[in-house]
Amino acid sequence: MFLKVCGITEAHVANHLVDCGVDALGFIFYEKSKRYITPQEADEIQKSIGPSIKKIGVFVNETLENILDIAECCQLDYIQLHGTESPEFCANVQKFYKVIKAFGMHDDFDLSLLNQYKNIDICLLDTYFKGASGGTGKQFNWQVLEKIELQVPIMVSGGLNCQNVSDLLHNYDAWGLDFNSGLELSPGIKDINKITQLCEILNIQRKAMNTPDQFGHFNQYGGKYVPETLIPALTELEEMYLSLKDDPSFIKEYKDLLKDYVGRENPLTYANQISSELGFDVYLKREDLNHTGAHKINNAIGQILLAKKMGKTKIIAETGAGQHGVATATVAAKFGMECMIYMGEEDIQRQKLNVFRMELLGAKVVPVSSGSKTLKDATNEAIRDWVASVEDTYYLIGSVVGPHPYPMIVRDFQCVIGDETRRQFKELSMGEFPDHIIACVGGGSNAIGMFHPFLKDKVRLIGVEAAGFGVETDQHAATLTKGRFGVLHGSATYVLQDQHGQIQLPHSISAGLDYPGIGPEHAYLKDTKRVEYKSVTDQEAIDALKWLCEKEGILPALESSHAIALLRQANNGFKAGDKVVVCLSGRGDKDVHTVAQYLGKEIS
Amino acid sequence: MNRIQKLFSSKSKKIIPFITAGFPTKEATKNMVLAFEESGASMIELGMPYSDPLADGLVIQKASDIALKNGVNLGWIIDTVREIRLESQIPIILMGYFNPILSYGLERFIKDCSEAGVDGFILPDLPPEEASEYVFLCEEYNLSSIFLVAPNTSNERIQKVSELAKDLIYCVSILGITGGSVSTEDNVESYLKRVKDNSSCSFVVGFGIDCQEKVDWINQHSDGAVIGSHFIKNLMDCETSFDCIRKTKELMQNLV
Repeated sequence: MFLKVCGITEAHVANHLVDCGVDALGFIFYEKSKRYITPQEADEIQKSIGPSIKKIGVFVNETLENILDIAECCQLDYIQLHGTESPEFCANVQKFYKVIKAFGMHDDFDLSLLNQYKNIDICLLDTYFKGASGGTGKQFNWQVLEKIELQVPIMVSGGLNCQNVSDLLHNYDAWGLDFNSGLELSPGIKDINKITQLCEILNIQRKAMNTPDQFGHFNQYGGKYVPETLIPALTELEEMYLSLKDDPSFIKEYKDLLKDYVGRENPLTYANQISSELGFDVYLKREDLNHTGAHKINNAIGQILLAKKMGKTKIIAETGAGQHGVATATVAAKFGMECMIYMGEEDIQRQKLNVFRMELLGAKVVPVSSGSKTLKDATNEAIRDWVASVEDTYYLIGSVVGPHPYPMIVRDFQCVIGDETRRQFKELSMGEFPDHIIACVGGGSNAIGMFHPFLKDKVRLIGVEAAGFGVETDQHAATLTKGRFGVLHGSATYVLQDQHGQIQLPHSISAGLDYPGIGPEHAYLKDTKRVEYKSVTDQEAIDALKWLCEKEGILPALESSHAIALLRQANNGFKAGDKVVVCLSGRGDKDVHTVAQYLGKEIS
Repeated sequence: MNRIQKLFSSKSKKIIPFITAGFPTKEATKNMVLAFEESGASMIELGMPYSDPLADGLVIQKASDIALKNGVNLGWIIDTVREIRLESQIPIILMGYFNPILSYGLERFIKDCSEAGVDGFILPDLPPEEASEYVFLCEEYNLSSIFLVAPNTSNERIQKVSELAKDLIYCVSILGITGGSVSTEDNVESYLKRVKDNSSCSFVVGFGIDCQEKVDWINQHSDGAVIGSHFIKNLMDCETSFDCIRKTKELMQNLV
C-alpha cells in the first residue's frame, strides 16, 4: 500500500509524515491552487526531510521546460500531471522523470482513454469537478475500480479521509492512496491528529490482512530458523523486496512479463458439464494455460526480477513435480542466468518429462539421493548449496515455505491468481462473490495466491491436502490434518513427524503435494479457522482427473485433481445453486506416465 | 562458574571433538568420550542426530542416519551424558536441530539436560531472532546457549550474538556446511580478528579442520578448534567399541 499526502505547505507537517512512515508527499506547483507552494519553499521543506520519502510535484498544463526546472530545483522523484496533458507530453516527461497521470472520474468517463497513456508510471484517479483540478474533497464512484485493468499501478484520490478509507481498502483494489483535503483543518493546513489517526487505521488494516509481522511470524508460525550464514542473505532479500514491491517500475516490469511472456490474464472457465452433473456452478481458474503449464511461473518471474536487481548471477531451486524446476529453468534462460535444480531421485523417476524439459532449457538437474529422495530432501540440498554459495547465488524457492521473507514474497507474487479471479468473477456475476473457493495444498502457493485476496470477503475457502492411501494409514501428505507444530526448512509450521521429532516421509501420487511441511500462513489460517482444510486420496484424485478430461476436455495436473475431487466428496458443504471456484493450478501432461502406471496401462 | 566458563578461563590449546551420539554404535559413545578425554580433548560436542540436518555435509548426514537407525533419540542421549558424568567432568555440549527439541518440549529438554550434566547447546537452525525463550531457559538452568557466527556476519551482529551467548560463541570458518574445506588462511585470519575485536566472550572455530597444523593455527587465532567430519569419516568403518576407542586415540595423537 503506497500512501501519499498531497498539498504540503509546512515543514513540520512534512516531518510528521516522515515519522508516520508515509511513502510520498506532494507539492502543488499550480498557481491557481489554494495549496500552491513556490519552488523555493518546497526546496526548503524537502531539504529538511531527507531522502527517505518520495517527493512528487503536481503540475497542471505546465510547459516541459518549467516542469524540468522546478523538478531539478526541488529534487522531485515523480511528476504528477493533473491537467489535460496528452499521451505524447507524458512520454516526453517520462524521458526525465517518473510520471503520474491524473484522470478526473465521472459517470460518463471513457475508460478506454486510460489505455492511450502508454508512457506513465502510475495512474491516479481523482474526482472530476468542472473547472477545478483536484482538491475538491469529493469521492468518485469507486465501483469503476473493478472495471479497470492496467499494466501500471492505480492510485486513488478525491475526498479520501479517515472515515471512508476502510471502505475503500475493504471492498476495492487500489495500489496507492492519495490524501489531501481529508486531512486538513483548512485548505493547505494539515491536521496532525488526523494524520496520526490515518496511520493507525492503515496499520490495523495491514494487520487484518495478516501480513507477517516484521520478524516474519504469523502468530507462532513462520520465522527464520536457518543457519547464521543465511541470515545476511535473508536480510538483504527482505530489504530489496520491501524497497521494490510498491515501486511502479518494478510492478510494471513484472506485470508486462506476466502479460507478454506468461500469457496472463488466463480465463475463468465455466465448467458446464460437471456443473449440470453436480447441481451447482463450477468455475475453473485456468493456471494450466500459463506458459510452462502451471501457476509456478508467476512466482518464478517475480523472484528472478529480484535476483537481477540484487546482482546475483546464479539461480538454484528445489523441485518436486518439476513444475517449479521448469518455471525456474525457463526464467533463468530468459534472463541469461546459470541455473541448478535440485530434485529427489524418486521424483526424477516419476517426472522424466519435466527433467528433460529442464535440461533442454539449459538447467543442470542435480539428483538428490538422501532421505526420502523427494521434495523435502531436494529442499535440504538446495539450502546446503545456498549456505556455501550465498554470495553470488539466489535461491528461488517455489512455494510459500522456507524462512521469512520467502512465504511473504511467494504469496505476494501468487496473489495475481486471486486478484484476477476476484475481478473476473465480479464481472460475470454483477459484483457478487463466489460461495466457495477450492485449491490444492502442498506447500500451498497456488492456494494462498488464490485465497489471500478473498480473506476479507464472505467466501468459504477450502484447501485440499493429499491423503495418499488415506489419512488413517501412514502413507499420506496431509500435514495440517495429521501433523503437529514443528520447524522444517526454516519456518515454524505444522510438520509430519514421528514421536521423536524426526521428519516423516510423506506419500502422495502427486509429486507436487508430496511434502511433510506446509506454508506457515496456512498453519495460521487453519488455527484461526478462516480456511478449512480437507484431504483427498490418490484414488479420488485419479478419478477426478479422468472425470475432468471426459466431461470438460481438460487434463488437470494430479495436484489440481485433488481440488477437483473435492467437488464430488460427500459432506463437502456445496449446495444446489452454489457458485464454486476451483483453482486449476496446472495441466496434467507431465503426469500421463504416472496415471498410466496407476491404471495399469503401458505407454512408451 | 560452570564447566565451560572454567575451561575457557585458561588460555591453553583446546581440541574439541565432535561425534554424533550413537554413531557408529550406541555402546561406543560413552567409551569414545572417555577415550577423547584421556587423549587430551578439552570439551566434547555430541551431535543429536536428525533426519534433515541442513547445515551438515554428507559425512555427518551419514553418521546421523546410522545413529537414527541405531534407535538414538534425545532421551537416550541425556541418559548417556548422565552415565558419562559418573566417570568424567569434561565439559559436554549438545549440537543439534530444533525440531526434535520442540517435540521433546523445550523446557523439559533443558531441565533434563541440566540435571544430567550437559553444559550447553549449539543449535545451528535457531538463530538469535527465534531464541528468546531458549536463552531465558538456559539462563534459568545455568547452561550455555552457544550461538554461531559466520564469515559474512557483520561486526555489529557479532557484538549482539556474543552478548546473548555470554559464555562462548562458535565461529563457522567457511561459507558452507560441515566437512567443507577451510578457505585461505588470510581470509580466516582477518575474519577471526574481526570476531576477536567484536566478541565479548570466548570463541571456538569449526568446519573443515582435519590436521595438527590447522588445529595449532586455529588455536593461535581463537580459543579452540572443533573437529567433526574428520573423526566421523575415520570412524565410519569401526565395528566394535574397541575399534572405536583405538581409532579415537590414534586420531587424537596426530592432532595434539
